[in-house]
Parts: sequence; structure tokens; C-alpha cells
Amino acid sequence: MSGNRLQGACKTHRTSALAQFNSWLTLRRLSLCLSVPVLCAALLLAARAGFGQANPAAVADPHPGAEQVWTPQLNAAERCTACHPGVAPPSAARPSIQQPGRVDPLVPHHTKDWGCTVCHRGQGAAAEKEQAHQPELAPAQPLLPTRYLQASCGICHRADLPDTPDLNRGRLLLGEFRCVGCHRLEGIERPAMLGPDLTDIGNKVSAEWIYKWLKEPRTIIDDSGNTAVNGYQMEPRMPQFRLNEEELRNLTAYLSSLRGKPVEPYAFDPKVVAALENSPDLVDQGEARFRQMFCTTCHSLAVTRGGETKLIGGDIGPEMTKVGSKTNPAWLAAWLRNPQAFLPKSKMPRYEWSDQDLYVVTRYISAKLTDPDLLQGVPKLDAATPEQIRLGRRVFLKKGCGSCHAVPGAKLQEDFGPNLVSLGAESISHLHFGDAKIPRSLTAYLQAKIGDPLSVNPTADMPQYRFNSADLDAITTALLSMTGAPGSGGMERLIVPRTPAEFHPAGAFAQVYERYQCDACHQFNGYGGTLATDLSYEGSRAQRQWLIDFLKNPQTLRPSLILRMPQFNMTGQEAAIVADFIGRNLRSPAVNPAGVDPAQFTPQMAALGKQLYEVKYQCQACHSIGAGGGYVGPELSNVGNWMTAAWIAAWLKDPQALLPGGIEPRRALTEDEIKALTAYLVSLRQSEPAGRAAAAAGVGQ
Amino acid sequence: MRKHFAFVALALCLGAGFSAYRGGAAAQADPRQKAYATEPDWNDPQRLIPLNYQQARGKRLFYQYCVWCHADATPAGPSNRANLNPVPPLLNDGAALNGKSDEFLLEITTLGGSAMGKSAMMPPYGRTLTREEIQALIAFARAIAQPPYQPPAPR
Ligand code: HEC
Repeated sequence: MSGNRLQGACKTHRTSALAQFNSWLTLRRLSLCLSVPVLCAALLLAARAGFGQANPAAVADPHPGAEQVWTPQLNAAERCTACHPGVAPPSAARPSIQQPGRVDPLVPHHTKDWGCTVCHRGQGAAAEKEQAHQPELAPAQPLLPTRYLQASCGICHRADLPDTPDLNRGRLLLGEFRCVGCHRLEGIERPAMLGPDLTDIGNKVSAEWIYKWLKEPRTIIDDSGNTAVNGYQMEPRMPQFRLNEEELRNLTAYLSSLRGKPVEPYAFDPKVVAALENSPDLVDQGEARFRQMFCTTCHSLAVTRGGETKLIGGDIGPEMTKVGSKTNPAWLAAWLRNPQAFLPKSKMPRYEWSDQDLYVVTRYISAKLTDPDLLQGVPKLDAATPEQIRLGRRVFLKKGCGSCHAVPGAKLQEDFGPNLVSLGAESISHLHFGDAKIPRSLTAYLQAKIGDPLSVNPTADMPQYRFNSADLDAITTALLSMTGAPGSGGMERLIVPRTPAEFHPAGAFAQVYERYQCDACHQFNGYGGTLATDLSYEGSRAQRQWLIDFLKNPQTLRPSLILRMPQFNMTGQEAAIVADFIGRNLRSPAVNPAGVDPAQFTPQMAALGKQLYEVKYQCQACHSIGAGGGYVGPELSNVGNWMTAAWIAAWLKDPQALLPGGIEPRRALTEDEIKALTAYLVSLRQSEPAGRAAAAAGVGQ
Repeated sequence: MRKHFAFVALALCLGAGFSAYRGGAAAQADPRQKAYATEPDWNDPQRLIPLNYQQARGKRLFYQYCVWCHADATPAGPSNRANLNPVPPLLNDGAALNGKSDEFLLEITTLGGSAMGKSAMMPPYGRTLTREEIQALIAFARAIAQPPYQPPAPR
């Protein structure tokens, strides 16, 4: 390979070999299967044949004839195109030539403005292929492996881009797994609550449970050490700290000594208790209510079917399969009635509980969501000695637990871990590889360090996470994008900042919003969770009465979804407050409520609309009305009571104008077709609005 | 012209040498190393198919727009495919799609089934997705096809 010199290539360009080179380019167009290595090799051979003895000095002197790109804006001179001559928009004849060798038409940065190394890294000015590419020879800036390439987008684009899913996910994970608890990271939002406040932990759980959790902070493990929900793994937010036996015992002693304020047991109405206490189906009733209230929208439960354990449910709150073995019923009841009294920043909504519901649900949890073997293997723990408690507190601070958890008499620990805002530009001479048998490169280091912190430093304090390889790549990508503050000289102008979204609910609505934590799942003007419908334009879409009925008794709108809106048992007054706020404040400028007058619809129009729906456009491929139809879009049998005519018409005209990125295909409907379809859809009403009918029939009681 | 021929021969020999060499290394090489993304072979999830930039983009679009009808499992649970009549081909169904030209696939995705004399249950995406996005979708379909897709020889 020693002949594979860029010198040769440059020389090739500048001399009569150009003729050969050109004919060779023609060949490239002729032969479809010619791949890049072949190109390089052919080039190399051509160079060797006549010009093998190229003068190396020619390279040091950037001659105007040499293939070199200079980007003054970035102060970069590079020679990549000497070997990668195909870096030009692909021709129609050869649209799919592999990288490197072309500028992808979809990447909106052209090499003539940006050069190559700003994104691909590598030493662009190097004279030899190895020096340009390989980590050992290009330690200052080795080539970035393709699978982390999205990191380069993130250097300037601090806001998420639609085409950088790995980068976006990595950023999300850095916040979700509380990396920001210990490290300073550019642009990663700090979650409102890093970890639970531990002031009362001794009242909540037993010392044995604390010991078990500190040793291994998860309760369900399959053979490979993981559980999966819908294909993705569910990791507890708390990592594993690799504590030795003594540390475990001392820390357990300290934590179980934290008994801030004792839990006041909730006094159930004795009549309710007397009526239910001995009822044989007490636990079944509890399970039914648990399911109807859709606790599993946020919490998952492990379900074993056919020998395979899967977590079913959401991941907003902790996994709960064995929570009954963790907490006692008195604590549970007090928590469920008012979670924010324990953890002010908790995302758990404050349900409206009847004594009956609260009683049966807590009984169900304590009886069924348990595991008698949970604490198996936990040694007998004697009463904590003051010495143990003192040492335990020391472990707490030494391990940085105080970065995420509040305890009495200590401020949250800040900047416990190293500052990582410019990790992505770190030189490998600053990294400690220890004895790790890994390539000496930043990417290999990051993967090793996050995968197993001890692999590069046997005395590391950093805890152990268990990411699957896709998530590990995503996190590596996000870290690589953090290259520090932009240099001077105009570079800072290139940064596209992330603008944090905000939403400020007001008035009576604000209280209901806080109580039910609407933003945990719903988006409001770009702020909030993404689990459920974006409500920014809900006021243009939904009719007031429908909203009230829905809030009081949520029904399934999209048959394909597993996760549903929980039943909070909202009062009529609360529902009206929410509906009024939505109607007034959450409107789309693209929908004019007066623009469509349902009174003008005739039965003939509706009949035509039905035809269009069923025959010409076959909407039933995705939507169902009653029995027949597809699962993809919302169920439409009550759409006339649900949506406003103005919304339906605007949606049919251009769905993406109301929901950017929405999946409903935009069709070329005529004005008359839109009218007819709207007329048909608004005629679809259940005789009584679904909510009221269901309530009357006793559903959810 | 003879010179060209000599070059083709040379290039092919070299190419063969190279791929043999790379084939040897590929036994342990991580297929993700040189790829923007990967997709498990739908018929053999152990096998990862490396995707280039365009195919990776197609993958993202597929899982957003098309997975509901052209796959048997979706991110949100049950697939809609069984509800449809005619039942749409799985996107990796080489037997159904390999014989169709890129142009045909582009047109039916852009204009919808009814415009191409097929079922209206295949919606038109020409006003929702750009031409480049639809090309990316086709590139993804070609990449995951089983049996594998062979592009037609250039004329
Ligand atoms: C609502 C369900 C649905 C969605 C969503 C959908 N398709 Fe289809 N598609 C169909 C049906 C049904 C057919 C079969 C049409 C026929 O054979 O008459 C089809 C056929 C096709 C064909 C032609 C196959 C052939 O053998 O001729 C292509 C290509 C195609 N779809 C691509 C796509 C792409 C790309 C997307 C996403 C942008 C997509 N489809 C989304 C239902 C759907």
C-alpha cells in the first residue's frame, strides 16, 4: 500500500496523466459496478505506471494545479478531492454511487463552500491517505466513522433536525438518563426532577429493599439482563454504582435513617372499607379500575407469555411489576392521593379518587404486583449503628448521589463529573485509555467508557449504564457534536440555536393543568411531551361539548394505539374549565370557524361525500366507521359530534398545514369534493355523544 | 476504444481482488461501520443490511408513512395490512417489486393506485412527500428486497 500516495494523485492531475484520468472518468460512467476502492486503485495504478516517482515537494507547495479545496470561511485547506474525484452532484445516469465519491444531493452543504473535513473530519491537508484517514496517524482529527456522522450536523444545528434521528435521540437520552446530573453538557435540558427527594425514604421502603435497589436498581431481568417494551429496552433511570458490601450496608443504613415526616395514613370512610374488606373479588375490582384508569399509559408491567418477558405500558413513570413488594398500602394510598406532597416536581397526575377506587386499587397493587422472592439474597440487616450512618453519608457524597437526590442538610452536588461541553473535540492525548484493548480514537474511547467505565479506568466513579448498541451509538453521536464554544472569526454566526419552547397556562386552567400534568403527554405550542395528541390547535378541532364529555370519560379515538388517555375522574367543572381554555386559546390561524357553514350542507352533498369516501378515495383503508375499516387514522363514527366542520374542511384541503409531518396524505381534492366529504363526515353522529352514552351505560363505574 | 477496454479489464481484476480482500475482513467487520444506518433483514433479523444515506432516509420515511400498510408490525402495534383489499405487498417483497421499474414505483407512490389502474387504497403521496423523498423510499425498498434486487443492466 505504500504506493498509495496522494502525491501520485496530485501529480496525475497536473500532468499529461490528465488525459488518462479523463478517459477513466468516462469509464466510470460506463461501468455501474465500479466501486470507490476500484477507483482509487485504478487511479493509483495509473499514477504508478507513469508517475510513481512523484516529487513529494510538490505537495508542500499548494500549486494552483493541485486538487485542493480552500474554504477561507473555515480556514481549512484540504486535498480530499484528489482521491475522491467523484465529489460532485450525481448524474442522472449514476444516481446511486456510494460515498465517498459524491455529495449527497440531500445534504444542503456543498464541498465548494464547506470543504469535506468540517463534517467528515480527517486531516484534509495531509499528503498521504493513511495520514488523512487513520486515527493513529491523524490523532488530532481522525476521520469520523459514518455511523456518527450526524454529530457533525449538531456542531452548528443545536436545534433538532428531521434528518438526524440518531443525534436527536442521543440528546434526548443524555437528559433522560440524567447524564446532566453530574456533567455539564451543551444544550441538554435538565429534567425538572433528576431523582426523587430522599428526605423520607426510610418511611417509604424497608432497609432490605434499599439494599437490593442499590445493588441492582431494577426488579425485572431476563436471561440477558434486559427487558424490552415494544422492542426497545426499558432501563431504570438510576444506573448501577458497583458498591462493595461495606458501602452497600453503610449507605443502606444512612438512607433508612432518613425519616423526615412520617406518613399520615389516609382515613378511609369506614363504611366503604366495611363493604369491600371481605368481598371475594376485591382484588379483581382493583385490577379492573387500574386498567380503566390507564395507569399503564405511563407505567409498565412485565408480562410473561410463552417464556418471553415483555414490559407492556409506557415509560413516563417507573416500571411497576413488583411495586407492591416495595411500598406499604398506607404509603401508597397517601402517595396516590397527592404525589406532589411527596415529590413537588413529580409528573404523576393527581387523580380524583373516590374512597372506593382508592381502596380497591391500593389493595390490588399490594396483593398482585408483588414478588415474594424480590428480596431473596439480601443479607439480614441489623439495626443501623451511628457509625454506619456516618460512613453511609460519606459514601452518598463520595459517589455523587447528591447530584440527583436531595437529602437533609446537603445542597445538590454540582458539577460532580467532568465538564463535557467540548468533549467532541477532545484530543486523544487527553484521554486515559488505561489497559483497554481498543483503538486509540475518541469514538472508541466514548463507546468503551459509556459501555463499561471500568474498561478504561478501573477506579472510575462513573456508574454503569446498560445501553443497547443503537442507543450507545446515539449517545456517542450526541457527545461528538459537543465541540465547545464556536471559535471567533465569524464561526459563531453559523450556530443555529435551539429555542426552548414555553407554554404558560393562565387562570383557572393553570391549576387543572398542574394537577393533571397535561404537559407530560401533550404538546402545547411546541412545549411538552410527545406521547399524545398535540393540543396546540385543539380549540379549532374539537367541539366544546365533545371535549367536556371526553375529559370526563376518555374514549379511544385511534384504534391502533395501545396507550390511552387515563381516566382522571375529572369533575364537570374542571372539564369545562379545560374546554373553555382550549376553545379560546389553542386555535389554528389556518382554520376560520365561520368559513364553513354546516347549515348549507344538503343530504345530496353528504351522499356524494359518502361515495367519495368509499369508492373514489377509499378512506376506509385507514379509517373505520363502526365495524369495517382500517386502524391507522381515528375512528370516525362520531366525528360529527367531535370535530368542527371548519377543521374537517381545512384538514382535507391540506393536513400538513395543520399538523406538519402528519401522515395523512394530502390529496388534490376539488372545493366541491371537500364540501361533499365534510358534509358526509359531519353527518356521522352517534345518537348521543359517546361520552354521555357511555357514562349512562355505567362504563367506567 | 481499446484503451478503454484495457482499463475496464484492469479495473474489474482489481475490483475482484479488492472485494475478495474485503470479503475476508467482512467476517468480523461491523456492517454499521461504513453505513449511515442498518435495517435487519425482515426474513432473517440476525442479518443487518447496511444502508447508505439515501436508503437510510427512505427507512425513516417508510416507518413514518408506509409501515402501516406495507409491513406486518408497526411501531404502534398491530398492522393495518390485513384490513386491506387488495393486501399490499410487504415492502421487502422482491418477488412482487423487483420486476417493477423505479419509474413505475415512483409514479404509483406519487399519484396513488387509482391513477395507475390499481387499487385506490394505495394513497397518492405526491403532495405530501417530495420527489427526492419518494426516490429515497424506493432506494430503501430496493436495499431490503428479498430475493435481492438486481438493477437492470445499463443500456
Ligand atoms: C393505506 C394503506 C397504504 C399506505 C399507507 C401505503 N400503501 Fe402502498 N399500497 C397499498 C395498497 C392497498 C397497494 C396495492 C395496490 C394494488 O395492488 O392494487 C399498494 C401498493 C403499493 C405499491 C405498488 C406495488 C405493486 O406491486 O405494484 C408501491 C410501490 C407502494 N404501495 C408504495 C408505498 C409507499 C412508498 C408508501 C408510503 C409512502 C405506501 N405505499 C403507503 C396501501 C398503502
